[in-house]
Amino acid sequence: MTIVEEQDGLGKYIVVYIVMLVITGIELLIASRHPSGGALLASMLIPAFLGAILGILYFMHLASENHKSIVAFTIFTVFVLAATTYGWSDSFRLLLGAPFAK
Amino acid sequence: MSHSEVALGGQHAGHHVPIMEPSPFAVPAKKLAMWLFIISDIMTFAACLVAYGFLRNSTANWPRPFQTSTIVSVLIMTFILVTSALIMALAVRAARAGDRAAAFRLSMITLVAGLVFTLLHIREWFGMIGQGVTFFKNPWGTGLFGGAYFSVTGMELLHVIAGLIALLIIAMGYKSGRYSAVDLENIGLFWQFINIVWMFVVPLIYFMNMAS
Repeated sequence: MTIVEEQDGLGKYIVVYIVMLVITGIELLIASRHPSGGALLASMLIPAFLGAILGILYFMHLASENHKSIVAFTIFTVFVLAATTYGWSDSFRLLLGAPFAK
Repeated sequence: MSHSEVALGGQHAGHHVPIMEPSPFAVPAKKLAMWLFIISDIMTFAACLVAYGFLRNSTANWPRPFQTSTIVSVLIMTFILVTSALIMALAVRAARAGDRAAAFRLSMITLVAGLVFTLLHIREWFGMIGQGVTFFKNPWGTGLFGGAYFSVTGMELLHVIAGLIALLIIAMGYKSGRYSAVDLENIGLFWQFINIVWMFVVPLIYFMNMAS
């Protein structure tokens, strides 16, 4: 069965496309100035997340899906992504050569 | 309801009872499955990237080997992949509108773009291998760099190749009428996911390790 839907405008696709390319350019510009570790990581991750959110909402059409699915997918995914950073602080301990806690 | 009633389509005493309850998310089952697969794949990539970040942060002499030529190559690859994502989104848009010919044509353009991306990626790998980078050693510093680099970019490349094969099969099937617009939309979702992952791989692997 073929479900025919009304076509949405091209404009939003072009805008998201341009924003994604601009984000890469901004990241390159920031990285070429070689900021310090934490600032560099944040300045790479924040634009990348912005691009990802735009891609998910408009290229993957999540914005036009049922709101229940948006909420369910978002909560589930963000929770697990946050949980993956659980051991992050241990990398600083390794870097500084600090002993394990007793 | 007995089994025989279910088999008859749930008709009982003149009332039509649906056999199955509707999807809680009001999306086709295949599409819901693809979203769940993508979520699980997000976890996989997140684990890889967090492990890479952990190693990079905890290693004092982490190499920063990427010269301008590599960065230019990565920018071209990014342009190709983001453009392919746009074209794939337009293919899905055409498929949703019932324009089978346009959807197929745009899918094929996406496929060609993906192939060019793959070839550039493999060329990039050969360049790194030519400089002496392996999984366990490299000329610049900690041996962990090669393992992290090949693992993360290899995962991405594996997904691109799998996506290309799936896209070819589904686009051909869609053209012949074997597959529906939902099937094309599903492979479109996967292709967009690949593009989104690349949006993280580029800054974290390449830009953060640019040579001074």
